[in-house]
Amino acid sequence: MPVDGGAPLVLSAVASGGPRISALNAAAEAAGLAVGSRLADARARVGNLQIRPADPPADAAALSRLALWCTRYTPTVAPWGEAEGADGLFLDVTGATHLFGSEAALLADLAARLDGFGLPARLALAGTPGAAWALARFGDGPTVTPTGAEAEALRLLPVEALRLPDPVCARLRRLGFRRVDDVMGQPRAPFTTRFGDILMRRLDQALGRAPEAVVPVAPPPAYRAARQLLEPIVTEEAVVAVAGRLMADLVASLTRDEVGARALALRLHRVDGAVASVEIGLAAPTRSPAHVERLMRLKLESLQGGLDAGHGFEALQLHVLAAERMTARQLALSPTPEEETPQALAALIDGLRQRFGTGSVRHLRARESHLPERAVSALPDGGGLPGSRPESWSSGETSLLRPPLLLAPAEPIEAVAADPDGSPLRFRWRGHLHHVAHAQGPERIAPEWWRQNARDPARDYYVVEDRTGRRFWMYCEDPSGRDPAGARWFVHGLFA
Amino acid sequence: MQDLDERLLHGGLAAGALHEIAPVRAEDMPAALGFAAACLARGARRSPSLLIFPAGYVRAFGGPYAHGLHGLGLDPGSLVVFRAESHKAALWAAEEALRSRSLAFVLAILTGGLDLKASRRLHLAASSSETFLMVLTPAHAEPAGAALSRWRIGPAPSERDRFGAFARFRWEVTLERSRNGRTGSWILEWDHVAYRFRLAGTLADHASPPGPGLGGPGLRRAG
Repeated sequence: MPVDGGAPLVLSAVASGGPRISALNAAAEAAGLAVGSRLADARARVGNLQIRPADPPADAAALSRLALWCTRYTPTVAPWGEAEGADGLFLDVTGATHLFGSEAALLADLAARLDGFGLPARLALAGTPGAAWALARFGDGPTVTPTGAEAEALRLLPVEALRLPDPVCARLRRLGFRRVDDVMGQPRAPFTTRFGDILMRRLDQALGRAPEAVVPVAPPPAYRAARQLLEPIVTEEAVVAVAGRLMADLVASLTRDEVGARALALRLHRVDGAVASVEIGLAAPTRSPAHVERLMRLKLESLQGGLDAGHGFEALQLHVLAAERMTARQLALSPTPEEETPQALAALIDGLRQRFGTGSVRHLRARESHLPERAVSALPDGGGLPGSRPESWSSGETSLLRPPLLLAPAEPIEAVAADPDGSPLRFRWRGHLHHVAHAQGPERIAPEWWRQNARDPARDYYVVEDRTGRRFWMYCEDPSGRDPAGARWFVHGLFA
Repeated sequence: MQDLDERLLHGGLAAGALHEIAPVRAEDMPAALGFAAACLARGARRSPSLLIFPAGYVRAFGGPYAHGLHGLGLDPGSLVVFRAESHKAALWAAEEALRSRSLAFVLAILTGGLDLKASRRLHLAASSSETFLMVLTPAHAEPAGAALSRWRIGPAPSERDRFGAFARFRWEVTLERSRNGRTGSWILEWDHVAYRFRLAGTLADHASPPGPGLGGPGLRRAG
């Protein structure tokens, strides 16, 4: 049943002694209802009352979506008081207002857009988070308070504007302190004794005498470029082109700091307020808009069902999530192929990863481990390009006895050995009987005593060639016979 | 590929072209991969190379194991492994890799054969980028039309030293197609220290005249 916003509407929450009102709209307030009153009483007072169950997780999710949307104004967006049910957002617009001309213009733009979503928001802009909080909730209408004028702006507001716990407010009111200026001019020590340090700390924070840290929804990126578009864009081609232009905007600051981007996120703000994020990782740092455009195109192509543009994207931002040192190269008049190769390879790897996922491209790295399956790590991020670091591979003679193909996990087989701890004579693997022509071994590989699996049985490895010339790497577990069930055989790898 | 190139094929296994390898039987895939890896080690030991490996083969034959590839003479550190979820993805990656001109060698293990169109595309991409492209196709796949050479690989009993230990692995190598039309079958062994193939025996040699033609540096009769 659709909700009629003009008629009284309340949200109910389960509480002790029956359901109570947890939120209500203006019409319900006008009808004399209040948050916290019992639902049964409200029903009796208002005939056509619309009731919906409160859904705090959905509220929180909606608020964080809104927070993400607000990053179109500034990267530093923090929800207020998350612990006790967030009901507001804090935007640190320091240094972001020039995009809109002035602070008042930014505030007006924000108000108009929120109104467009049907969200009646209370807005205020002030020099401290505390003052902005107070003015948004208890001030009248969107206001811009210049830095230094906080005390004047807050003076006449009720003490609740100081973000105090309810019991503190109640006691202040009992003692006759009703407005902020009742508290402002008073000696600090008696207040601190009576109310703890929360009162004076909140007052200092609101007036800018004490610092206050806000925790943004996402850490602000080190480098960021944003564009508000005059006309919403809907095509993939246009998105890619804007991404390239945003990257071009970043080139100057990246070059200045001698860094390149290793991870990027493109935030797309849809007209209806939804924000999509497309992230790309790179094999090597880059500053090339053309490369970013190409990767973005591949990434968009690989998205299942494509990117839902709705009625179009009206603002895009490019965030550099990770930057890495990248020294400027001398621009040769005719770059030699040797110079171009690492970049072309990085571009290739990036392209494959955007299209098929980060895990699709791997570099093989040697690792210090006795166990064959642990002696190699396949790094998805690679930590750079192949050949960029020296490796410690075992010497050629012993590594001849390692197979180029390793089965994971090793497959159990039935084997007949020459005698209880001898080499295999024949074995059955995947239904086929193999007669051993030659077996070389054993090579004992013990589990690593410093690891949790140190109690695993030792393995005796054999290189086995059957009569057709096929070569296997197999092992016998627990050859010393500690396990009464007897030795168990496995095929672990296949030789060339 | 100096040895095979000059002695056996007179320019057959060349860079900038598509070469095809197939196992004799499906279960000879590891032998074919080993031969291909040896070719790779022979041609581009230290230069960046791409190995395209089908995700579906990991279960059947295991995944590429760096220490073992190193044993065949490859530098695993210069190897990029692409895990292809489909035949189409593998072909796309191979063509992208060739067009990037950043690699010396592309070894693509494919789960299907190459039709004439796909093989021509890849051959063109390989020749325009002068990259060595080797595809490893299933045993029963149709031969790739545009491939410059086609090899069929099966395992052969290894050479052993005086103490009975494995000295060198051997393959039964059949050249089914080459640029100059010569074909033949040989037993080849791979010297992973000197990075060269050696001829261990001739089964049916239609490519080279018998006798001195097969001798010479780097290619001697063993066994």
